[in-house]
Formats: sequence, C-alpha cells, structure tokens
Amino acid sequence: MSTFYERFERHDHAAGLKAKSTHYCAGCGHGLVHRYLSEAIEELGLQDRTVAVSPVGCAVFLYYYFDVGNTQAAHGRAPAVAIGHKTANPEAVVVSYQGDGDLASIGLAEIVQAAQLGMPLSVIFVNNAVYGMTGGQMAPTTLMGQRTTTSPAGRDRHMGQPLKMAEMMAGMEGPIYVERVALYDAKQRVRARKAVRKALQLQAEGKGFAFVEVLAECPTHLKMTPAEAERWVRDELAAAFPLGVKKEVAGTAWGAWPVPVFEPEAVLRAAGALAEPAPRFCAGFPHTAFGPDVAVKLAGAGGDGAQTAALVLARAAIAEGFDATSIPSYGPESRGGTSSADVRIAEEEVLSPAAPAPHVLVAFNAPSLSRFGPAVVPGGLVLYDSSVIADPPALDPSVRLLGVPFAEIALELGQGMAKNVVALGALQGASGLFPEETLLAAVRQGLGDRGAGAALHEEAFRRGVRAAEAQAGGAGAFGWWH
Amino acid sequence: MAAVAERPRPVLHQEYCKGCGRCIEACTPGCIEAGTAIHPLTGLLPVTLHLESCNGCGLCVEACPEPYGMVAGDAPRLSPGASPRPFGRPPREPAAADEPAERVALPETRPLMLKGAHAAAVGALLAGCRHVYGYPITPSTDGAELMARLLPGLGGTFVQAVSEVATVNMMYGCGGAGRPAMTFTSSPGFSLMLEGISFMIGAEVPGVFVNVMRGGPGLGNIGPEQSDVKLACHGLGHGHTQAVVLAPSTPQEMLDLTFLAFELSFRYRNPVVVLADGYLGQMTGRVRLPPALVRPGLPAWAVPGDAAHRQNLICSFHLAEPDLEAHNHRLTEKYRRIAAAEQRADLYRCEDAEVLLVACHMPARMAKGAVRVLRGEGVAAGLFRPQTLWPFPVDALRPLLGRARRVVVVEASEGQLEDELRLALAREGTALPALAHVRRCGGMLPSQREIVEGVRAALRAGEARA
Repeated sequence: MSTFYERFERHDHAAGLKAKSTHYCAGCGHGLVHRYLSEAIEELGLQDRTVAVSPVGCAVFLYYYFDVGNTQAAHGRAPAVAIGHKTANPEAVVVSYQGDGDLASIGLAEIVQAAQLGMPLSVIFVNNAVYGMTGGQMAPTTLMGQRTTTSPAGRDRHMGQPLKMAEMMAGMEGPIYVERVALYDAKQRVRARKAVRKALQLQAEGKGFAFVEVLAECPTHLKMTPAEAERWVRDELAAAFPLGVKKEVAGTAWGAWPVPVFEPEAVLRAAGALAEPAPRFCAGFPHTAFGPDVAVKLAGAGGDGAQTAALVLARAAIAEGFDATSIPSYGPESRGGTSSADVRIAEEEVLSPAAPAPHVLVAFNAPSLSRFGPAVVPGGLVLYDSSVIADPPALDPSVRLLGVPFAEIALELGQGMAKNVVALGALQGASGLFPEETLLAAVRQGLGDRGAGAALHEEAFRRGVRAAEAQAGGAGAFGWWH
Repeated sequence: MAAVAERPRPVLHQEYCKGCGRCIEACTPGCIEAGTAIHPLTGLLPVTLHLESCNGCGLCVEACPEPYGMVAGDAPRLSPGASPRPFGRPPREPAAADEPAERVALPETRPLMLKGAHAAAVGALLAGCRHVYGYPITPSTDGAELMARLLPGLGGTFVQAVSEVATVNMMYGCGGAGRPAMTFTSSPGFSLMLEGISFMIGAEVPGVFVNVMRGGPGLGNIGPEQSDVKLACHGLGHGHTQAVVLAPSTPQEMLDLTFLAFELSFRYRNPVVVLADGYLGQMTGRVRLPPALVRPGLPAWAVPGDAAHRQNLICSFHLAEPDLEAHNHRLTEKYRRIAAAEQRADLYRCEDAEVLLVACHMPARMAKGAVRVLRGEGVAAGLFRPQTLWPFPVDALRPLLGRARRVVVVEASEGQLEDELRLALAREGTALPALAHVRRCGGMLPSQREIVEGVRAALRAGEARA
C-alpha cells in the first residue's frame, strides 16, 4: 500500500498510460525514492498530515503522484517554502524533496538556514551527480573527472570539488538526523527505505530536522544502462560520497508551537491601545501668527535626544486632540553627525510634515544652529544650548534667539541625558505653546522611568521652563500663540 | 508472522514497466529476465516473469521504481489490516468548504501615536496576520522589529529569513497553507523577492508586501523615493503578473491600507503590495484603530496538510501550453475584475479645480499644502491622490479632466507616476491633458514651495501658449 494517487490526473490529464506511470526515465532513482516516501507516509499514518514540497528539477512533478497536500516550489527554495508551511500549520508533516542542483547549488542558503534552524522538517535530497531536467549539466555533486555537457572534458579542480551535503549538514548544530543511503542493490534499498521513514517519523514526533541524502542513478545522462548506472553509483559515486549515518542525536524536542491569539484585548494591549487616555489641558488650538500649523525643528548630534524630544512634542499635541507628525531627518541633513527631527502640529490635519522653514528651532549644538538657524521664518523662535554654544551666529533680526544651558542644567541634576527634557521645558517657557501640564504629561508618558526617572524629568522640565522665562522676560514671552 | 507460502507473488503490469531491470538483480531465485518483446503501447521492453520458483520475497516489488509496475499480487498480505485493493487510495474525501474570516468588534480607543512602519504592523495584526517573515533592510526594518517583539505574545511567528529570496518563499509556503503572511522590505529587497512574487501570482497565493521604498538604482540610498512604482505596477517578476498596489500617505493610511491589503489578498488570491516611502515608514503621527479586527478563516483551496484539503495543490507550473494559456486567461480575467472594482483615490478640492495636482505617498502631503497656498492666491487648484497605483484610479480622474486645464504630476521619481497616469488614460482612449511636472529624486522630496512655483510656471506656460 502506498499514498500514490490511484490515477495520476495531473500527469497530462491522465491520458493513456500516464494515468498510472511516472514521467521518469527507465532506471531513474527518483521512482524508488518516491516509493519509499509513499510507503513511509502510509505506514506511519501520515497521509492526512503531510505536505509535500516539490522542487524544480526532474522531481518537479512530485505532486502528480502523492495523494497528500502538495506545493510546488521555485528552484532551490523548497526548504523556505517548507518553513512557511510548517510555521503556518505545525501539525503538518512537511517534506522538502530536492535534487542536487536545487539543494546544493541554487538553494544552498535555504537548506543551510533550514538545517541550522533545526525546525522539525524532513528533507529528502536525491543526489545523482548531474542536472537531469536541463539536460545533463555539471552539478555541485558531479565527480572529479565526470563528463557532463558543461564539463565536457571532465570536471577538474578549476570547477571546484564535489560538495558533500550530508557531511555539511552533519557538521551543523541544527539537524538531529543525517544519513546518506543508496539504491544500487537490495540491501541499500532496505536502508534507504528505513532512512526515509525515520526522517518522517522524527518530524511526526515533533523532534527535529532530518536530512536523508540518497545517491541515485541517472542512466540517461550518465549514458549508461540502468544496470551500469547502479554499478557506477556503487563503485564511483558512493566512493566519493560515503554511505552511512552522519549524525544522530537525541536532540531536544522542538517544543510547543505558538497558538495564534485573536482576542481583541490581547491585540489592543500589544498595539498599546489600552493605556488610559491622556488628560487634556488645552482650551483650544494655540493661535499663532503662522496659521493653524506649527513647524518645529529639533536638531543636535546623535544622542542629544532631539528625536525623543520631537516625539514627546508630537505626543503632547495628539493627546490634546490635534494632529501632529514627527519625522527624522533624511538626505543631506543627516550628514555630518547631525540628527534632526521635524515636528508639525496642526489643529485638523498636518498637510506637509517636513519643516524646511520652521517656526521654532531647538538647537543642541553649534553646527545645528548654523545649519538650520537661517531657515527659521521671520518672527520665529530659536532656542539653543548655551552651555555648548558661546557665540550664536547672527540671524534675521526678527527671529528671537534664546540661549538656555540645556546640558548644564541636566548635569546639575546629575543626568546629562535629560538635556532634551530641559530643552522641552525651555520651549514651553519661551513659547507657552501648550499649558505646562500638556508637555509634562507627554514627558511622563513618553519617557516614563527611562534614564533619570520620572521625578528627575519633571525637575529638568521645570528648570528648563524657569530658565527660558528668565531669559525671555516672562512666561510665553513671545506672545505669538495665545 | 505469515508463512512463506502465504506471501504474495508479484504481479507485473507490463504496460507500466519501463524495462529498467532493477528487479532482475533483486530476484535471488532468478525468476525475472530482461524482455525481448517490444510492448505495443509503450514501445519499451518490459521484463518477463517466470514465477515457478518465486518465494514471494517481495524484493522485486521494492526494486520497482514505478508505482504500478511490479506490485504485490492479490495473495494474503504480509501486514494484517492492509487494504486488499492493489491500486491506490479510495476516492478522495469531499473538498473542504471555505471557513470564512470573522470580524470581531473593537471597543473605541484613544488615538495612538505610531511610526508609519509600526502602523502598518498594527494594521497587519488587526487583519489577523500572525506570520511575518523578513530580512532587515533600512528603512523598513522598524516594522519587522515591532512584529518580532509583539508576535510571541499573540501566538504568532516571526522568522528572520536568510535573505529576501527565502523570505518570499516562506510567505509562499505560509500563504499556500491559507494563512495571512507578510513582510516588510525596501526597494533592493523587493527586487530580490520578484521571482517569488511571480510564483505567488501564478499559484494564486495571498500575501502582503510592505515595501518602504528608498532611493535607487542599485544600493542608491536610504532616502525616500518613489522608486518602485514601475516595478510594483508592471514588473512583479516574470510572466503576466499584476497585483493591487496601495499607496498610503499618512501613518493612518499605513494602518488602514495594510489592513485592507490582507482582505484584498485573500479575496483575489493574489499578493498585494503596500508601497510606502522612506519618509512615511519613519514618520510618526496620529493613528486611529478600525472598528473591528479580523480572525482569519481557512480558504477551501489551502494546503494546510489535513484530510479536508488533501486534494489541493499550490502550483504555478502548467506544462501543457493550452493549460498555461487557459490559466493566463483566467488570471487576466481576474485582473480585469480587480481593475474594475478596486480603484481608489482621495480627492482634495478637485470639484472645481482648473489645475489638478496628481501625487501620492509623501509628495502628496506637500502637494496638499501647495493646494492650500494656491487656493489662497486664487488659483483653483485641487489634489488628485491615487491610493491604488495599480489599478490606477482612472475612473475618478476622467470626469475631472474636463474642467482642469492643466495637470501637474508631483513625484519623487523621474516620471514613474506620470507614466502610470499616461498609460491609464491611453488605455481608456482618453486624450492626454496638458501635462507638467514637479520632480525630485535620489532621496529628495519636492517641497511645498517647489510645487507652488511649479504650478505657477505651468499656468504661465499655458497662458503664453493661449
């Protein structure tokens, strides 16, 4: 008994004799490997659990014959397709069936990853030392001296040495069972049959990755009779590719597979949507001379915290029911170690999220101030870290320039990293953009206990506010948003 | 243990014997010999059997590479309980029915603040995707990173593949098993996935590709560019391939259109591409969640490996030319249905527009700002923003072309969007309007000011001609 289809409907619509015969040449090894695979599926009771992945190569039509779930893969990719199937349905017993060109040449990366992953999969590798389907070209496993259509004078060392896949697999940590078998006589066929069965059984039991290399005959491209081909495999191929178990370890069980969860609460929690709504403090959108859309650029060196501060600012605006965006810098602006972020805040909808001409610039270092200061719109506001910038450049006279020692204040608090929070406080103190609580709530939500801790952040923020107010001559002294 | 005398003797079906002779060597008593008579049906030389001294050892059967060549005869079986039928399985079970996806209502929640790539990831989770495969590539990786963090808590799987090539084939396997699968990638990675996408389209396997485009060609850079519009609309691997290409322009749309992508992907059994740009992937903004999430079902055509779906095959191979032609005709018919049903566009102040800006992705944001400025100057400008690039929303565009004197295509590429517009109108037999464009590329985006100036220049040129 076997799991072959009763009629091979997919084989040329089961026309004539094709309903019950394979497409393989006389004496080809594939038919035998198919038989053992089919019998193993039947004997282990796996027919209703199996997905067979057909390769590209002579075995591309595997799905003509096996009455199991079938998938046909791109050349070399059967192990990746098998991983897709196995992760989609871990209960399935997934068999990746490949030839030598498919597995050992174009698909090397995929087989190595699958093997090292060690996921329970059964890989059947049929090595007949030649490309069959494309007409007898040199394979990665072609023997030294062997003539093929692309090694017409025989493979020599300039074409590389034959690749020993079973040994390579056995040298890796992932696989738990690796064996090389052959088909050339009754004794070898019994071993091959057992090995194929074992590879399936290990997966059915959830154990791990199994790899069986089968040395097979290709009389057509060896230009031999089937009997000669069997002798060639015995005397030549098996001499270069020694038979036997290459690796067998108990391994550790792959373990329980995840079971997908679709409960709304779990998904919302994962998405961060279950947090309490942030309180609102704004009476309305801050009206500015610049219309219903405020552009803020925050710039410094990488690590200054400009990106984090930008996100806090955007978060504050969104918590108040406005629209806001924050984008990290790109293109030439990101060169020279500058890290900048553009924040746009709009009452209804941010249209253009970039801030090439910001209303407010927060500069953490001199290069940022020099680079972006001149772009600030007339009547705009520039805040800079006066602890590192002694001589600010001259800007448009209508631009208000305010130095606050972000870094110094943060260091006084024992946490230099908090200078971006000081900067946010300074922005608050100078502009009065939102009620103070708005930004503070966003600082708490965005930074939490990160770095210096919530209390320290609050203190850093408040000191920033006071320092800016002192410099500017009063809270929200610029007065262009009230 | 059955007695030797009870072992079945082999039966040879000569019409299925190719005469390879493996059985000859396997038979110790020497009951089998090479054939000498050509079989009239096969033209081959099947072996001949002389079973006088056969001991029923079965080695000839085990040596036969043909499923129905040398088979064990009808004598009592070695293994008790085995079916007496010599050939194959009983008829297949009835085909599985579609197990439909289910929508589960979500409570209203406050708006989230999400990065574009993260919004796409959340959209995928809400659409029921629990299988994500990927290979790191800037600027798309944030999406994969979030998935790697969140999926374990949702019983999902994230596999970091050895390459984009492996990634797309894992998606092919997972999608073929009927599960929603996705990846995050960026232009060079998307190029590597094209062969697999062609296989998915050919085999009709769903899957969602979020391609956060970056500057090209080659390694290009990691700046935002609309570099893959042509590729996604007309170059999805070899063969006659099409897929819905969605074009978000806000973090909100990153979520909404990724969510929609899964629905379309399963509705049409076809991959769907969510094309974003580098800016959009990185941009953080306000995002509201949809009213429901999706608990995926299992389509009747899937190959999960169980009894109910055993007869199914995921395959893009059709060896016989008439078969492949018929398959392509079927796909073409599907593309036609998609083109008729899935065009999407967002119109901003288009109703009375005399100059129409056409833009998508991030440049559409700048273009929207430009429309506001132009309107302030008394220019009747509007923004036509395709949300599907394939199919191009030509049905919504055509009625606007009567009033609009000029069309200005705004894009971060050297005319890839404009080509889509031209092709869509040409296919419809609609005369091309007076076209102008504002283009940047290489990671540079057209600024609002450049767009406003470009539109003014286009209008001046039009007046000069008039």
